[in-house]
Amino acid sequence: MTASRKPKSKARPPSRKAKPRPAGRRAQSKQAIREGIVKAALSLFQTKGFDATTTKAIARKAGIAEGTVFNYFKSKDDIALHFFEQEVDQAMAAVRDNPRLRKAPLEEKLFTLVHSQLEFLAPYERFIGTALIHALKPASPLGPFSHRAQELRHRYLGFVEELIEESIPKHRHSPLTFLAPEVFWIYYLGALLYWLYDSSEGKQNTLAFLDRSLNIGVSMLKRGRR
Amino acid sequence: MTSAKDTPARRALGMASMGAGIAGSYLGYALQRAFLGKAEGEARLKSTHTRAARRMRDELQSLRGAAMKIGQTLSLQTGTLPDETLAELATLQMSAPGMHPSLVRVQIKRSLGREPEEIFKSFAPDPFAAASLGQVHHAVARNGKRVAVKIQYPGIRQTIENDFRLIRAVSKPAQASGHIPKTAIDEVEQQILAETDYRREAENIEFFAKQLAPLSFVRIPRVFPEYSSDKVLTMSLMTGRHLEDFLAQRPSQRLRNELGTHLFDLFYFQVLKVEALHADPHWGNYLFNDDASIGLVDFGCAKYLQPESVAYLRSIFLYSGATDSADFRELLEKYYRFQGRKLPAATRRTLISFAENFYRKVYPPGPDQQQPFDFADQTFLQDYLRESKNLFRTKGVMTEYLFMARAEMGMYQTLHRLKARVHTSQIVRKYL
Repeated sequence: MTASRKPKSKARPPSRKAKPRPAGRRAQSKQAIREGIVKAALSLFQTKGFDATTTKAIARKAGIAEGTVFNYFKSKDDIALHFFEQEVDQAMAAVRDNPRLRKAPLEEKLFTLVHSQLEFLAPYERFIGTALIHALKPASPLGPFSHRAQELRHRYLGFVEELIEESIPKHRHSPLTFLAPEVFWIYYLGALLYWLYDSSEGKQNTLAFLDRSLNIGVSMLKRGRR
Repeated sequence: MTSAKDTPARRALGMASMGAGIAGSYLGYALQRAFLGKAEGEARLKSTHTRAARRMRDELQSLRGAAMKIGQTLSLQTGTLPDETLAELATLQMSAPGMHPSLVRVQIKRSLGREPEEIFKSFAPDPFAAASLGQVHHAVARNGKRVAVKIQYPGIRQTIENDFRLIRAVSKPAQASGHIPKTAIDEVEQQILAETDYRREAENIEFFAKQLAPLSFVRIPRVFPEYSSDKVLTMSLMTGRHLEDFLAQRPSQRLRNELGTHLFDLFYFQVLKVEALHADPHWGNYLFNDDASIGLVDFGCAKYLQPESVAYLRSIFLYSGATDSADFRELLEKYYRFQGRKLPAATRRTLISFAENFYRKVYPPGPDQQQPFDFADQTFLQDYLRESKNLFRTKGVMTEYLFMARAEMGMYQTLHRLKARVHTSQIVRKYL
C-alpha cells in the first residue's frame, strides 16, 4: 500500500538541518491518526450506513475530539474519497510492483488491477453499495463530477492507458483502442455492480466474469487475430 | 446467426446467445471462443466427413462443458452424428477455459488459504495439462515429492446448472417422445455436478486404489489431502504417455496387445468385480507405459452400479443359448421390469440384434476362444454404433448404462487405435 499524501497546509519543505527522527515520528503519528479516522469511519459506514454516520460518531469511535477529525478531513465524503484513493493506489501498485506480471498479457494485468480493487473493498461491501448510490447524487463530493473524484479517475484511467500502450503495439491498435480507457471505466463500474450482486459462494462468479469479459474486451482492442 | 439448419445444438446456441450471460454459461463461453477465433484448428477431422457433419461436430466440440458432455453421452445413442465422429466424441474432453497464472493464484489462495509458494517447495505457473473443469500444474511438495495440482475454474458449478436448464428446455421434444428419459438428463447432470467437488474425487481415488489393487498393471495416484480442497486436488505425479504419444513411438504389436488386454481386463474387472467404474474414457486420462502398465488419472467421473444391474449383466454376458429363446427374452424383460419399465417388442428385437450382430462377434460365446479378437478392423465399431442407434430409436436407452456405455465406447475406440488383439471372452469369463 502506498502512503497517502500529507495535507497541504501542514506540509513543510524538508530541511536538511532538521533532525530526521522527530520529523519522521511526527509524520508517523499523523499518519496513524489519519488511518485511525478512516478505519473508524469505514466500520461505521459498514455497520450504521453512510448517511446515518456523523463525524461526531467517527471521532468518538477513533478516540479523538471531533475538531481533530476536521484537521485531517473536510467531511465524511472526504474520508470516503480518501479510502477510494487508497483502493486505487494499492491496486495500481499490485500490478506495477509485481515482477510476475512484467511480461503478462494485458488481460492478466487488468484482471489483477480490478481483482485487487475488489479485494480491498470486500470488507466494506455494504458501504460500497450505498457509496455507489450516494455518488450519483448531484453535487456529491463522491460524484463523478467533483474535482477530486475526477482527478482520481484520471489517474486510474491514465494507468489503464499505460498498460494498454505497453501491451499492444501501435500498429495493432483497433479503431476502438483510443476509446479504451473511457470504456474501461464503464466496465469497471459494471464489474463492481456484478460483484455487489454476486451471491455465489466466495464470489466465484465474479472471478469467472472478470476473466471471460477481459478476454473478450482485450481481443477487441487488437487488430487482426493471433 | 442464420437458422439454416435447426439442429438441437444450433437451437441451444441460439438460446445461449439470447439468454445466457458471458459468465453464466459454458454455451456463452463457446460463443466467446467463436468470437475470438480460436475454435478452429482444434478438431481433428477425417476427410470422409461431410461438411454438415463437420460443422455439427465443431459446434459440439467447441461447446465443451456440460453441453459437450451431454452431447457426448446421449449422442452415442441418438444417431445424430456420423459414426466416426461419434466414436471420437466418446473420448473428447470436457474442458474449462484456461486460467492465467494470476487467476490460478487467486483460486489457490482462496481455496487453501495460502499462496502456492507458501504451500509448495515450487509451483509451475503454467499448466501442463487441461483437466475436466480446470487445469493441472506441476509442483514439488515440501517433502520433495513431485506432484500434480489440479485447479478448478471459478464458478463452474453454476455454469453447469445454467446449461442444464437450457438443455432441459431444448430436449423437451425428445423427452416427451420417450427417446431420452428424463432420468437420463438427471443422471448426466448429477454426474457432472459431482465432478465439481474435488473432495469427492479424492474419495473416488481412494476407493479405486483399494479396489483395483489386485490388478498389478494399474497405477493410481495418491492424494495429498493436506494440499487439497473442493477446488484444488493435489496428487502424486503419474508416469506414462498419452495414447497419441505412445503410438508415435511405434510400439510393437506385442506391447499393443498386452496393453489392450490390460485395458480390457481393467474394464471388466471394474464392472463385474468392483461394480463401479472410472467412467471418463478421455485419452488424457490414461497413461501408457512400456512395461504395459496403465496409469489412471482423473477420477471425477466414477459410476457406481447397482448390484442388481451387475447381476443382470452377468446373466446376459456370453449368453450361450439362442437369443430368440424364451429364456433370453425372460432375462431382458426381467431387467427392464427391475428398472420400472416395460420392454416393447421393437426394443426387444433391437436388443437381440445387438447381441447377435455385435456382442457375439466381438465376444464369441464358445467355451474356448482360440483366436483373439482383432480390434484393428473398424467394422466392429460401425456395428456397435449402428446397434446403439437402433436401441435409441426403439427407446431402449437405459439411464444406468449411459456412463458405462460411454466408457465402453471409449475403450473400443482406444483398442481400435491400438490395433490390439485381445482374448475378449476369456477375460470376461474370468469375472463372471
